Amino acid sequence: MFLLALVLFVIFAVTLDRFLTAGNLVALVRSVAILGILGLGMGLVVIGRGIDLAMVATMVVSVSWSLALADTGLPLGTALLIGLVFAIVVGLASGILIAYATIPAIFTTLAMGLIVYGSGRAWLFQVDVQNTPASSEFFDFLARATIFGVPMMIVAFAALALLVWALLKWTRFGRFVYATGDNPSAARVAGIPTRLLVVAQYVITAIIAYLAGLIMAAANSGMSTRVYNSTMIYDVLLVVVLGGIGLSGGRGGVRNVLVGTLLVGILLNGMTIFDIAYTQQNLIKSVILLIAIIIDSIVNPRDEQTAQQEQGDI
Amino acid sequence: MTAFIELRRATKEFRGIPAFKDVDLTLEQGEIHAIVGENGAGKSTLTKILAGVYPLTAGEMLVDGKPVKLASPAEALASGIAMVFQETNLVPSMTVAQNIYLGDEKFFNRLRSLYIQAQRFLLSLNFYVDPMALVSSLGAGKKQMVEIARAVHHHARLIIFDEPTATLTPEEKFHFFNLARRLKEQGMTIVFISHALEEALMLSDRITVLRDGEVVVTDKTENFDRERIIQAMVGRTLSGELYNKAGGRTPRPYGEKVLSIENISMGNTVRNTSFSVYAGQVTGLFGLVGSGRTETMKIVAGVLKRDFFHGGSIRLNRRPVRYATPRPAVLDGIVYVTEDRKVEGFFETMSIAGNVQVGKLAKGYNPLAVVSMAEARDLAKEWSARLGVRAIDANARIIELSGGNQQKVVIAKALVQAPKLVILDEPTRGVDVGTIVEIHNFINQLADSGIAVVMISSYLPEVLALSDRILIYRQGRVVEEMAPAEATEARIMYAAVH
Repeated sequence: MFLLALVLFVIFAVTLDRFLTAGNLVALVRSVAILGILGLGMGLVVIGRGIDLAMVATMVVSVSWSLALADTGLPLGTALLIGLVFAIVVGLASGILIAYATIPAIFTTLAMGLIVYGSGRAWLFQVDVQNTPASSEFFDFLARATIFGVPMMIVAFAALALLVWALLKWTRFGRFVYATGDNPSAARVAGIPTRLLVVAQYVITAIIAYLAGLIMAAANSGMSTRVYNSTMIYDVLLVVVLGGIGLSGGRGGVRNVLVGTLLVGILLNGMTIFDIAYTQQNLIKSVILLIAIIIDSIVNPRDEQTAQQEQGDI
Repeated sequence: MTAFIELRRATKEFRGIPAFKDVDLTLEQGEIHAIVGENGAGKSTLTKILAGVYPLTAGEMLVDGKPVKLASPAEALASGIAMVFQETNLVPSMTVAQNIYLGDEKFFNRLRSLYIQAQRFLLSLNFYVDPMALVSSLGAGKKQMVEIARAVHHHARLIIFDEPTATLTPEEKFHFFNLARRLKEQGMTIVFISHALEEALMLSDRITVLRDGEVVVTDKTENFDRERIIQAMVGRTLSGELYNKAGGRTPRPYGEKVLSIENISMGNTVRNTSFSVYAGQVTGLFGLVGSGRTETMKIVAGVLKRDFFHGGSIRLNRRPVRYATPRPAVLDGIVYVTEDRKVEGFFETMSIAGNVQVGKLAKGYNPLAVVSMAEARDLAKEWSARLGVRAIDANARIIELSGGNQQKVVIAKALVQAPKLVILDEPTRGVDVGTIVEIHNFINQLADSGIAVVMISSYLPEVLALSDRILIYRQGRVVEEMAPAEATEARIMYAAVH
């Protein structure tokens, strides 16, 4: 997969004279930083054999509500904290429904996304676009500060990636996520608290979504609720699947999210430079997503029985 | 006379690795042919070639002297070859009759006439199965009958059975043997794979022994005995190391009472049963499949929940316990080693080290504790040495190991949790003969070290060879306890079925 990204990169670099400029490269990473952060959260739940389709809704509503509260005169810190708590509650609700009521994750989070978005639009804020407070040092810092010339957005992405990487690779929690994603019933019998683990995954993912929302609000000096109606959640899935995290669980890691983010970034950037219309871009992306899922289901079949047959039941 | 089916220098490779090579095999019309061999000897693959599941890599297959290339099980069925798999291929939500005629329905399918037709057909085979019953409501033996009926209906001349008796009760086994003989009299050829050598000796006309993907010997059954088959299978003599050991052995003394089960019940499977388990002993639980042995021990380990009302009580070291999940049981020192390692045993994406390490980690609390890869490697090395896990590559994924080695890793993963009570459910199911001895020795070591071991087993020689006490289950409860000195296969079986 990494090779594929490299090949795509080289092709674009050779064929497009504007591609390989410093400005474009920074713009490329910037444009996909938010996608990458969301991909980190999605990657985590997918490794645990789940999926979170409510991520974009959680991101949009929790941050929009924070901004709306700040607009009414609440101190920004308090408003942001309320948004964070809201995101955590959403994650808790999804997680508890999936782990304790054993509803399939895909339906739970699909419905949860609609509920979150709907209740946000109905009660929490009225306007379509919530602007960030005019003179907020916090958002200014996120939007404009640089560390060694690297924009804050990219630094935040890198820091989060490092954090999730360490969590998955070096902690007991991470081992448990892999074990549960690989074989939930074996994990349960081994004494892993699988239900708490699932809840924790969705809470972490919701927090990651909230953080992605903060950065998005900073970058655009506001949060548009229309983001929920865009194809963003599919782009996040594209990042995860294209990066090579198996939808059957237990396979992949942060490295795959990074590769996926890079691939999608190059793809989106290249398509924009090629001046492909928005609808056609979506078509191309969806075809690639479908192909990636097909390849994934061939490489990592979901059913253990069939997996064994593939390898020759000797 | 040409043979019914012949394989000539047949070779099958998976990704360049041969499952078997240069196999010559002939099957005559109207014979019962047993194929035996250790795990990984290539038995399953060989029969799947016959049934058209896989194509051959090299060599040829002849049916009635004519070379054929079977591309799918459907084509195999068309030339008269049907296979009955270990897990049955029936549609559980359909009735028996619908299953028999599946794929053969008329455009307008009238159920009434279908049932009458099916009833006649089943009676002509002497199968007492209700054609209107749903397949999901049938026991394993009846399901097998339905599969056979389906094969006969499709004019099969060869029926291949993969471990036909593994899921059957002794009564059903008896029926199966009669059935096989009857089918043979009707001119049917039967091929079956079996781990139970007694069955192969009892039922078959000829036996083929496979070892490492090669045919060691094919001969008439009367020229074989147990010893010769095992010798051919493993290439060495086990000299009765495994069997008939109960006579000369004194049972271990009773240690401290670790577990006492009083009147526990769960629905219809576990009915008001009571017994105790002591430290430093192997307590053997024997019973027919479905007698509630596994369910009782799963309740103890927290995998299943007993009835909330009138569920009885369980005491661990005199302390009453009720586990909702396996985790608190594991923390209290109870581990359950499953009978189905693929479903509840191992993590297929992980290496040996990964699997064992998860067992170790599961016993801890702090979710953010840092895990060490070096520690995992050391753990794997230690336990591989203790249990004799043989893997070419220490980093190999567990799915690439043989059944015996997988079982050893699953046991290691449980024992790394430092248990006080170990529940082993069919510890040697699907494990080759050589490994069975190693696992048995290890179980003895466990009991000698003072751990309470509960061994659930359907394999009588195993129960007799290892148990210090034998508890016999029937219809959801312990009905009899025997000391190994007074137990014989016949007595145990009598208690289990009557």
